[in-house]
Amino acid sequence: MSDHTLIGTRMPRVDSRAKVMGKAKYTADLKLPHMLVGKIKRSPYAHARILNIDTSKAEALPGVKAVVTGKDTEGVKWGVFPYTRDQQFIQIEKARYIGDEVAGVAAIDEETALRALDLIEVEYEELPAIFDPMEAMASDTELIHEDFPNNINIHVNIDTGNVEENFEKAYYIREDTFMASEESYFHAEPYAVVARFDHEGCLEVWCPNAGPHMKSKPLSNSFKIPLHKVKIKKIAIGGAFGGRSEICPADYICALLAKKTDKPVKIVFTREENTIATRQGHAMITTHKTGVDREGRVLARETTCYMDGGAYSSTGPIATSVPFLSMEQAYRMESVRYNGYRIYTNKPIRGMIRVHGRGFACGVDTQLDMIADHLGIDPVEIRLKNSRQPGDYTSTKSYVSSCAMDETIHKAVEKSGFKEKWGKLPPFHGIGIGTNSVQTGFPMGIRGGSQSFIKFNEDGEATVMSGVVDNGQGNENMLVQIAAEELGLLPEDIHLVNADTETTSSDPGSYSQVSTFVGGHAVKIAAENCREKLFKVAAKVLKVDPQELAAKNRLIFVRDDPEKSIPIKKVVRISLLNFTSVNAEGGYWPKVDMKREWVKNPYGQMCEAFSFGTTIVEVKVDPDTGQVEVLEATAAQDVGYALNPLILEGQFEGSIAMGGQGGMLTEYHEWMDGRCINPTMLDYKVPLACDMPRINNIIVESIDPKGPYGAKEAGMSIAMSAAQGYSGAVSNAIGVFLDSFPLTPDKILAAIKEKETRQLKRENADKTEVN
Amino acid sequence: MLLPGFDYLDPKNLEEALDLLAVHKEDAKVLAGGTDLLVRMKKGLLAPKVLISLKSLNELSYIKEEAGCIKIGARTPLADIIASGTVQDNARALSQACEKIGAITMQHYRGTIGGNILQDNRCHHYNQSDFHRSGHQACHKNGGKICYARENADRCNSTCQSDGSTALMALGAKLVLLSKGHERTVDLDKFYTADGIMPHDMESHELLKDIIIPINGARSAYRRLAYRSAIDYPIVCAGVLVRPSDSQKDRIDEARIVVGAMGRAPLFLAQASSSLKGKKLDDTDAFRKAADASMDSAATFAVHNVGSTLEYRCSMISPLVLQGLKEAASEK
Ligand SMILES: Cc1cc2nc3c(=O)[nH]c(=O)nc-3n(C[C@H](O)[C@H](O)[C@H](O)COP(=O)(O)OP(=O)(O)OC[C@H]3O[C@@H](n4cnc5c(N)ncnc54)[C@H](O)[C@@H]3O)c2cc1C
Ligand code: SF4
Repeated sequence: MSDHTLIGTRMPRVDSRAKVMGKAKYTADLKLPHMLVGKIKRSPYAHARILNIDTSKAEALPGVKAVVTGKDTEGVKWGVFPYTRDQQFIQIEKARYIGDEVAGVAAIDEETALRALDLIEVEYEELPAIFDPMEAMASDTELIHEDFPNNINIHVNIDTGNVEENFEKAYYIREDTFMASEESYFHAEPYAVVARFDHEGCLEVWCPNAGPHMKSKPLSNSFKIPLHKVKIKKIAIGGAFGGRSEICPADYICALLAKKTDKPVKIVFTREENTIATRQGHAMITTHKTGVDREGRVLARETTCYMDGGAYSSTGPIATSVPFLSMEQAYRMESVRYNGYRIYTNKPIRGMIRVHGRGFACGVDTQLDMIADHLGIDPVEIRLKNSRQPGDYTSTKSYVSSCAMDETIHKAVEKSGFKEKWGKLPPFHGIGIGTNSVQTGFPMGIRGGSQSFIKFNEDGEATVMSGVVDNGQGNENMLVQIAAEELGLLPEDIHLVNADTETTSSDPGSYSQVSTFVGGHAVKIAAENCREKLFKVAAKVLKVDPQELAAKNRLIFVRDDPEKSIPIKKVVRISLLNFTSVNAEGGYWPKVDMKREWVKNPYGQMCEAFSFGTTIVEVKVDPDTGQVEVLEATAAQDVGYALNPLILEGQFEGSIAMGGQGGMLTEYHEWMDGRCINPTMLDYKVPLACDMPRINNIIVESIDPKGPYGAKEAGMSIAMSAAQGYSGAVSNAIGVFLDSFPLTPDKILAAIKEKETRQLKRENADKTEVN
Repeated sequence: MLLPGFDYLDPKNLEEALDLLAVHKEDAKVLAGGTDLLVRMKKGLLAPKVLISLKSLNELSYIKEEAGCIKIGARTPLADIIASGTVQDNARALSQACEKIGAITMQHYRGTIGGNILQDNRCHHYNQSDFHRSGHQACHKNGGKICYARENADRCNSTCQSDGSTALMALGAKLVLLSKGHERTVDLDKFYTADGIMPHDMESHELLKDIIIPINGARSAYRRLAYRSAIDYPIVCAGVLVRPSDSQKDRIDEARIVVGAMGRAPLFLAQASSSLKGKKLDDTDAFRKAADASMDSAATFAVHNVGSTLEYRCSMISPLVLQGLKEAASEK
C-alpha cells in the first residue's frame, strides 16, 4: 500500500548495537575531571520530626568536600502542579517515609562519602506513622501534611449526570471491590545523576529522564537561574515506565553539592534506593458498581477508588485520573460517576506507571465477566456490546476519531481460539480476555507541543534536532526513521541531536504516549519543509515543477521519470553556492482542550487520539500448588499505523512481561512498618525470559487522521489489557472470580480451597435434604 | 554497594590453607565461589579481615566413586555435579537440587557444593542493607535481643535455604572436615546447631574437604517451589529417599524425608520417614500419610522470613513430599 522506503519496515534500531555491545554510555558510566561522589542520607523512620542535624563530624572527615541539609535549600518545594507543591528536596521539619532525603554529601570517593553519611547526626522524634490509606483517611489528627485534612491529597470527581436514573432503569446491578498492592518498575538502570556548574554559571545535568524539559524548569526555579542556563544533557537511559517523569530530589541535591564544591558530582542509586526513593505504582482499593440492561449494555457505573499515594503528591492528579480514563475510553457507558481519592501514607512516593491501576482495570473486566456470567453471554459478546466505537465521545467529552477496538477483539479472539476454548477447557485450564484504551497525550499547557529543526551539511547529510527523549522504547530510531524517509536519505545519513535542553526546543516528554504522535510529527513536518527547499533547487536544475519530484536513496528524481535525478548532496552544494542554507523547522501542537484540568475541570478534549486493544491469555493452574503456567498470550492492538513492526513487537512483549507475567503473578512488595522488605532484584520477582509464555502479536491499523502516517501509541496500553487477560484466565481456570491482585499462588490456592469447601457444604446440604 | 577491605590470601595447597586457617581463625573466611559470602559482605553483614581463597586448590574439586560411596570435593562446581553420571544414577536428588540453584551462570562459573552447604541462613529482616537495618532495633543475629520473624523468640530462626543440603541430608550424606592436624567426619543431619546466628556446627579454623554419599541402591528425588523459574531461592523444598529392601524388591526398607527452607536447618522427619518402612513402593496412601505427617512436624519450625506467606509455605510441604516420594519410588 505505502510507497515508503523506511516507514512501515522492520528496520533494526539505530541504537541497539551500541546497547547490546555494552558501548552505550549511561549516567553511571560518566567520568568528569575532578568529579566527586555524592551520597544521600535518608530517614530510617517512616514518620519523624527532625529536631537537629549535626554535620560537623562529617564535614571534618578528610576527603569530604561538602555536606548539604535542608537549610541549604532555602525551603524550595516541588510539586508537579502549583496546588501540589508539598515536597522539599531535603527535609527540614520532618521525614515522611523511610528513605526521605535529610542530607547530602560529596566526597572524594564512595567509601569516604558513606563514612560521612554515618557521621551526620540526626536527632529525630518519632511520630505515629500511618501505612493504611483507609486508616489515614479516617484520621483527623494524625496528619502527614498539615494542610491536607484527613490526609486526602487529591480528590477527582467526575459525574456525567443521570447515574441514579440509569441505575433505576438497569436490569441487573452489581457492586464489587477489587484490591491491588503497589508495584515497582525495576528499571534495568538504577537512578543516577551527574551535575556540574560550568564557568558561565550554567548548570549541566545528566540523568535518566522522561523529558529533559520537565527537569530543567524545576531546576531553574529552584536555583533561580534562567532556563537557558540549565542544560539537561542527552545520555543513554535504561528505562522509565512512568517512574522518571518528574524531577528527583537527587537531581537537586547533586546540583547543590556541585554548586557548593564547584566540582562535578555524581550520585548513583543503589537498587534499594531505586526501589524506595524514586517512585512506585499506587496500591488501590476500587469499588465498581455497574448497572446493565438485559443485553449487558452498561447503563450506569459508579466507581470509587482509594489510592495509597505515599508521602508526597508526585503526579497525583494525573495518577488519580488515568485508571478511570482508560476505562471510559475503552468502554461506552451511558452515565458514570467517579470519585478517586489519593491518600497520603508514610510509604514511598507513588507516581505514574505503565500499568495504571491493575486493581482498577482488572476490576472493570472481571466485573464484566461476572455480569456476562449472570446474563448467560460470553465475555467476548459483552465486550462487543460495550466497546468504544469511532465517532463516539467519551464520558468526559473527548471525541474519538480513530478506533478499531472491535477489530482487535475479533482478531485476538480468532488467533487465540477463544470461542472454541471458552467453557470447553479441561479443569484448571482457563482463558481470559481484557481490553484497553490509552490516551495519546494529555493537555500540558505550554509544554504540549514539540518542535524540530533540521539542517543539511555540505556533504548531503542532515542533522535533526528534537526534544524527544528515548527511555529504551526506540524513540530515537523512530525520529531517524521518519527524518530519513521524508528527506530521501539513509538512516546512517541522519545525525540525531535530541533530549538536550540546550539545543532542542521544548517537548512534552515520553511519558504520556506522545513521542511519536507529537515529537515524531514535528520531525516529519520539519523534514517535509526541508525537502520542499531541496525540491525547489532541484526543480530548477532538472527543469521540472517541484511537485513532480520525489526523494529516495540520497537522490531527488522525477517521479514519473526516475532516470532524471540529482544527488541530494549536489542539491545542497548548489544551494549553498547560491547563498541559501538548507534547513527547516517544524512543530506540532495537538489540538486539545486547554481548559481541561485534572481536578477542577476534568471534561473536554483530552488528546487527539486513543489507542485500543485486546489481550487474551490462556493458562493452566496447578491445583496442588496454585502455581500458574501461562500457555499463550495474544495481544492485538490498534496502534494507528505501525511505523516499525519490529519495535512494536518489542513493546507488546515487554508489556506482557510487565503487566501480565510479572504484574499479575509474581510482583508485589512486602512491608514491615513502612520498611520495604524486598527492594532488590532477587526478592522482587520480576519475571525472567524463561518465565515468559508464547506471545502472539497482532498489529491492527486504524490510520488515525491526525497521527503521523496515522500512528498512535503502543507503549503502555498492552500492559493494562495483559493484566486483565491474566486475571480473567486464572479466574476462568479455577472457577472463582478473583478480586485481589497480584494473583500469587497462595491466593489462588486459597480460592480453590474455599470453593471446594463451599461445594462440599452444598453437597452435604443437598444430601440432608434428600434424607 | 562497596565490598569492605580485606587481605586476600591464595594458598597453593591444602596444607597451606589449613595453616592459614589455624593462624587467622575467626578473622578469616574461606572464599570458594563467593556467591554467598561476597553478597553478605557487600550488605555489611560481615567484614572478615582475611579471605582465604580456594581458587588454587584444584585438589578439592572432584567427583569419584570410592568404597561404595560417591565422594565430592567441596570446591566442585555445581555444574560438574549436574553433569555427573554417577550423581544422576545414584544420587538423583542432588542432581535435581543443583539444577535449581540460582541460575546456570552461577552453577557454571562460581557456585560450589561446599559453599552451597555452608552458605549462611537467610532472613528477609536480616539479609538487607545497613540502611534497611538501621532505624529499628537490632535483632538477635544483628547483635540485638529481639526477633522480627517470631515474636518473643529467644534465638534466631533464620532459614536454611540451601537446595544442596536438603537433598544431601535426604541422601544420608556425611561431611569430612579438616583442620590443621585433624580430620573428622560428621553426619549432615548432626551438623546443625540450634541457632540461626551460627547455623553450622563448625570451627572457624575448619575446612570442608568433601561430601560422602553412600551408594546403596536407594532412589531419591528433590522438589522445590519458588516464584520464578530461576534466580530464586526455594520458599519450601523437599528431598526424599526410598531404599527398597534387598529381600523384597517391592518393599521399602528405609525412607528418608527431609524438608528444607522451613527451619534453621533442613529438617529430617524421622517419624514420617520410619512410617514407610515395610510399605510397598506403590503404596500411595502410605506416601500421603507420610507427607501429611511431614507437614505437621515441619510446619512448627517455620517462621515468616523468606517471602510468600507462612501458611502457603507450610501447606506446600505435603504436596512436595508426596510428589517426591512418588517420583523416587517409581524411579527405574
Ligand atoms: C542470586 C543468587 C541466587 C541464589 N540462589 C540459590 C538457590 O536457589 N539455592 C541455593 O541453595 N543457593 C542459592 N544461592 C546461594 C549460593 O550462590 C549457592 O549456594 C552457591 O552454591 C554457594 O557456593 P559458593 O562457592 O559461591 O559459596 P561462597 O560464597 O564462596 O561460600 C559460602 C560460605 O561457605 C564457606 N565455605 C565455602 N567453601 C568452604 C570450604 N570448603 N570450607 C569451609 N568453608 C567454606 C564460605 O566461607 C562462606 O561462608 C544463590 C545466590 C545468589 C547470589
Ligand atoms: S530470624 Fe529473627 S533473629 Fe534471625 S535474622 Fe530473622 S529477625 Fe533476626
